[in-house]
Amino acid sequence: MKPERSIAPLFWLLFGAGGMLAALFGPALVILTGIMAPQGWGLPADFADYRRALAFTQHPLGKLVLLGVIALFFWHGAERIFLTLKDMRAGNLTVLRLLTYGVAALLSAATLALLLLIGF
Amino acid sequence: MSEQRPFRRPQPADWWARPPYLAYTLRELTGVAVALYGAILLAGLICLWLGPDAYAAYRQALASPWSLAVHGLLLAAVVWHAVTWFEILPKTMPRIILGGKALPQPAMTAVTTAFAAVCSIALIAFVVWWGRP
Repeated sequence: MKPERSIAPLFWLLFGAGGMLAALFGPALVILTGIMAPQGWGLPADFADYRRALAFTQHPLGKLVLLGVIALFFWHGAERIFLTLKDMRAGNLTVLRLLTYGVAALLSAATLALLLLIGF
Repeated sequence: MSEQRPFRRPQPADWWARPPYLAYTLRELTGVAVALYGAILLAGLICLWLGPDAYAAYRQALASPWSLAVHGLLLAAVVWHAVTWFEILPKTMPRIILGGKALPQPAMTAVTTAFAAVCSIALIAFVVWWGRP
C-alpha cells in the first residue's frame, strides 16, 4: 500500500522560512519601515519618498525582497493562526484553512501581481 | 457489539487563556503581528501602484502617532517571536555533536539569538549607510 501523501510539509516549509526571516530580520524591518523612515529618525526625509520607493520596487532585487518578506510573513502568520484556531476548535477545518492558507495564497498572488504591474 | 465509553478529560472552553497554555497562545499570537506587518507593506505597495498622491497619503498615515504606537507593539511582538523561535529551534533540529558530546540546547539558543541580533543590527546599519544623504 502506498503511503498517503500530505501537502502539510509544504505549508510547514513556508511557515519555517517566514518564521526564520522574521526572527533574523523582522525587528530591523519594523524599526526601519515603521519607525525610522516615517519619523525621519536616522534616515533622510526623502528616504522612502515616491521616487526612491518606486526605484527600489522596480529593481529586480527589490521585487524579490518585497515578495519574499510579504508573502512569507503571510504564510508564517497563516500557519500559526490556523493551528491555534484548530486547537481552540474554533470551527470547521475547511473554513479555517480557507481563512488562513486561502487568504495567504490570495495576498501572495496580489503581491506578485502588484510587483509585475509596477513594472521594471 | 460492546458499548465503548472512552474517558474524556473535561477541558474548559477557555483553556488557551489559562496558564500554562497562555504562554503558547501569546507565542502563536506573534504570527498575527508578523502577518499584520506584511499587510502594512502590501498596503504601501498598493499605494505605490496607485500613484504619487496615494503613496503620499500612505507615508502621512505611517508618520502618525497611531502608526508609531502600532509599530511599537509590532516590534515587541516580533522580538518575542524571535526569542521564542530560537528557544524552539534546538528542539526541532537534529542534535549537533561536538567532541563526542551533544551541544546543550540553551547554548544553541544563546548562539542563534545572538546571531539574530547581529543580523537585525547589521541590516539597520547597512540601510542607514545606504540611505545617507
